[in-house]
Amino acid sequence: MATAEDKMREFLRRQIDPREFDAPAFQKDPFPLYKRLRDDHPVYHDRFHNRWVVSRYWDVDSVFQSSEAYTRGIYEEDGPYEFGSKHVFGPNILEYGVGDRHRWLRNIIAGQFVGQKLNDFLPVIDMIARELIARLGTGSDGKGGFELVTEFSTQFPIRVISNMLGLPREDEDRFVDWYQALIAGLGFGGEHLARGIAARNEMWEYLEPLIEKRRKEPGEDLLSRIIAAELDGKRMSMEEIKGFVALLLAAGGDTTDKAIANMWYHMLYTRPDQFAAVQKDPELWSNVFTEMMRYDPVVHMQQRRATQEIAMHDEVIPKGAIVLIYLGAGNRDERVFKDPDTFDIFRDDLHMGRENRSGRYKDGKPGHLGFGMGQHFCMGYAMARQEAVIACTHLSNALVNPRPKVEDHPGISSPSIDSGGFRSPQELWIEFDRKAEGW
Amino acid sequence: MARTLKLDLDCCVNAGECYYNHPRLFAMEDDGAPRLLLTSIETDDDLREAEEAIEVCPSGAISLE
Repeated sequence: MATAEDKMREFLRRQIDPREFDAPAFQKDPFPLYKRLRDDHPVYHDRFHNRWVVSRYWDVDSVFQSSEAYTRGIYEEDGPYEFGSKHVFGPNILEYGVGDRHRWLRNIIAGQFVGQKLNDFLPVIDMIARELIARLGTGSDGKGGFELVTEFSTQFPIRVISNMLGLPREDEDRFVDWYQALIAGLGFGGEHLARGIAARNEMWEYLEPLIEKRRKEPGEDLLSRIIAAELDGKRMSMEEIKGFVALLLAAGGDTTDKAIANMWYHMLYTRPDQFAAVQKDPELWSNVFTEMMRYDPVVHMQQRRATQEIAMHDEVIPKGAIVLIYLGAGNRDERVFKDPDTFDIFRDDLHMGRENRSGRYKDGKPGHLGFGMGQHFCMGYAMARQEAVIACTHLSNALVNPRPKVEDHPGISSPSIDSGGFRSPQELWIEFDRKAEGW
Repeated sequence: MARTLKLDLDCCVNAGECYYNHPRLFAMEDDGAPRLLLTSIETDDDLREAEEAIEVCPSGAISLE
């Protein structure tokens, strides 16, 4: 029979030290802690950081879906805070959080990234991928090698968005620089934040005359569409337009560039056997994207604030509490996915096609949580998928026998999962025999 | 004159745009399908919301007759 001491020992064995969230080991490999959270503390009260953590698939789903019980907004919409003054992007929908204003701004832009309007921009995506591939150097013997992150993936989405917006091509490199400063300013304070805001201001100064010009002479580009977009007879203000451009460059660029690097990492290092199948049938890159978004997505965590008391499992989350949604943990929930720690592009228990906001699919299979769901579902989901799949398909078609340059790779990591640090490999060196005919 | 809001569930892909954006007109079923909360569109506000829902629906499953 278990003695009181045994019970105490068992209780202590299951405890989580909240400082584990800050440890480098967690930033490198968060999955063991995720499993302990799911198994022993499905609702974990982190008293050290003063927050609550949910980690199981269906709990993550329920927090995302319950927009009455949780809010994304950090501030009250009608409060005394001036939106955007402390944010690297300026006033933007990430900060508005909720309400009619948020819905209005979101709908103006979300419609540009789906359906026919997205299709209009596919030639741009195709063109940028081809340009970047053409730049990859080869030796006199035709052989080549390159570092994917700096030479391809971080170059790609930012140039696509810059072109979609209709910004001058000769200034593309400046946007790449501003973009990198904005991103660094997101997750960290201090010097990074100061540089991020400086880059934002520089970029805004650059953009203002361009916006004025488009107002007078609109074109077919995305910037003109944003300026002209109306809902209920209202248009966006200059500040809102500039905030939106900053948001698009950063949010649309960073996540997609890291997605591309993650997809290649998993093909080269995690599942070289499945990479062989993908090279034979490049349409499988779509599955690679989906499984990457489940197995180890770029974004692992989203944050909400409880607007009422919430009873979940045997805990009660108090009104006003900060709730961390570890979608990266929900994606590995063994209650939902078989062998959740295996990367498998052929899994039959995951919805493999395009994502949607409800997270409910007609094939009856659960989807990955990598784009979130519900009210604040990623509005660039369709475009991110298109960009990542087109870039990876072109690259694998263009390279003959692409392979890792080094056998050992330190793997995917994040500077800080907790504070907006996105997960990706720092470097990914690839070698190939030659470029295929026509590339 | 009142108009009728209609949903074609065969063509619907459960994207959820209607019920997330217009919870007064649409609700989400457990399987992700939308359900109409209002079929008879009478006021200007209803009409504006219905037209917006048609605009944001990616599958063209919503119509006004």
